[in-house]
Amino acid sequence: MAEKKVLVVDDEIHIIHVVAIKLRNNGYEVISADNGIQAFELACEEKPDVIVTDFQMPGMTGLQLVEKLRQCEQTGDIPVILLTARNFVISQQQQKDLQISQCLSKPFSPKELLGNIEDILYHKTVG
Amino acid sequence: MKLRTNSYAIVTAIVVCSLLVASFTSWRYSGIGAGWQNWYGALCMTAYCVGAVGVIWLGWFWLKLARAITSIARQLKEELIAEKRPHVECGTKYLDPRFTRGFASTVKKPAMIKELNETIEDNFTKYSCHIAQLEKQNKDLQIQIQLLQRQKANTEAIIYSLRDAVIVVDEFDRLLMANEAAGKLFHFDFKSSQHKPIDEFITGDKSKFVDFLSQTKYSQVEATRHEIEFSQDETAKIFDCIISCVYDDRQQVCGVVAVLHDITREKQIQQIKNDFVSHVSHELKTPLASITAYSEMLADGDADDEETKKQFYSVIQNQAKRLNRLIEDILNISRIESGLIKIEKKPMSLTILIEEQLQMIKSYAEEKSIEIIAQKPIVYDQVYADKDMISQVIINLLSNAVKYTPCGGSVKIDTMVDENAGTAQVTVTDTGVGIPKDEIEHIFDKFYRVDANKKQAKGTGLGLNLVKQIIEKVHHGRVFVISEPGVGSTFGFELPLAIGQAVEAV
Repeated sequence: MAEKKVLVVDDEIHIIHVVAIKLRNNGYEVISADNGIQAFELACEEKPDVIVTDFQMPGMTGLQLVEKLRQCEQTGDIPVILLTARNFVISQQQQKDLQISQCLSKPFSPKELLGNIEDILYHKTVG
Repeated sequence: MKLRTNSYAIVTAIVVCSLLVASFTSWRYSGIGAGWQNWYGALCMTAYCVGAVGVIWLGWFWLKLARAITSIARQLKEELIAEKRPHVECGTKYLDPRFTRGFASTVKKPAMIKELNETIEDNFTKYSCHIAQLEKQNKDLQIQIQLLQRQKANTEAIIYSLRDAVIVVDEFDRLLMANEAAGKLFHFDFKSSQHKPIDEFITGDKSKFVDFLSQTKYSQVEATRHEIEFSQDETAKIFDCIISCVYDDRQQVCGVVAVLHDITREKQIQQIKNDFVSHVSHELKTPLASITAYSEMLADGDADDEETKKQFYSVIQNQAKRLNRLIEDILNISRIESGLIKIEKKPMSLTILIEEQLQMIKSYAEEKSIEIIAQKPIVYDQVYADKDMISQVIINLLSNAVKYTPCGGSVKIDTMVDENAGTAQVTVTDTGVGIPKDEIEHIFDKFYRVDANKKQAKGTGLGLNLVKQIIEKVHHGRVFVISEPGVGSTFGFELPLAIGQAVEAV
């Protein structure tokens, strides 16, 4: 079975680093971007299975990135996990409309993130 | 008195008889027409003469009596008013001698006059008391009127001096009272608008206020509260509007009073506070997220080798330091803003202080091969300031300059003294990345970081705000920045010279 590809987007290099190690140790291929624009380009090129993105980033926020991803045919159905240091930034309705699979509040557990990614990919495969 | 009374009776009888005789003879014998020519003529004439004399005497008697009574009454009144005599004595002493000459010696006040006198006295006393009571009541009422007028004037003065807008309308929504603030807010003149329906002059986007007044009046509640947004002087203002019903003595709503308090500033402060909390939360959670994630990875054995473990520990340590710096900066800003920080101002030399801070930044600059160009010593650079705080300002400016200057660049620090202006100016100039023009105005804001420069270096976004707070709020100086993207930036501050202050060695 081919390695599942995860795109990790965060302006904090330490967060990308720690998530990448956790995912690689569990058999995932990890690609990363430190801003929204770069992340969108990567998503179009690489078509990752899951995108993990921070909410607050310079230039383009995580939410703006998801909106852009949903507007694009190539990336419209990629599951997204949103990491946020701010609570209640998006409403349930917004989460539903933008098809955000999960919102994780910082500080988060890499183990929990891994569990969420596995769940999403499992449902994607079964569904 | 008895003689006079008898004379009065006899004279009266003679007059009556004379008149009867005269009348009879005149009627029977045409006496008066006969004159003195026969006996009945003479009798008639004599009877008329006697009657006439009697009538004249009686007239004189009644005149004297009437004057005597008038005199008694006047004297009684005068004495009662003067309260010289609580009791009225009977006797002739009250008779005016002008009218009682040859009469008073014998005439005593009759029982009728005594009775009249007592009645007058009683009534006079009664009415005097009543008048006194009325006068007292009148005085009390006058005082009450004056008090009420004063209270009304005070109340009006208070209402007119309120910065909150106050509007009072009657049950038909006609304007009864409004202060200057209300007139200014709703653009009406009170005098020309009084007693007019308010929907005639409160229109447009403000008409919702009129709706709220009506709603309150019919809502059967004592008061309602609304948050209303109006445009005033071409700016949006938010008002906290409290509308209360005014009740008459039958507990019926007879009007409505509205007080509009401008809460625009409070709302802005609330927004700033919310943004601050949100920023602080985000800024604190970011290093905390790294610390939590890396420690969990270490605990779960995700770091395979010693090198990775060492790297993880290093990240945790750095993020913990970052967290500490952030907390310190937040606390310092908070202490300065709340005025709780202890400030110890002393005259001190800026040159010496800069020298100390340059030593601290030296190793960091060497790491990046950045040349530090220090100032030339100047003669007098004493400022009256808190040493620790100014040290913090200088180190923040120097570390920022080194942080955002690419390797191989330079950082220059200068001190200039303007003796005429009485100020000392410190500038830190770098050959760094610079700040885009549209972002310069926000550079001293809390948590503000130039997006394009975030990759360049880590920061809390609080360092420059702390510089501004220390210089402007604590030392009443001035901060400034000049920058050109790709060329570099100059950050500086200006402090008043310590002229006239006792100079101490730092």
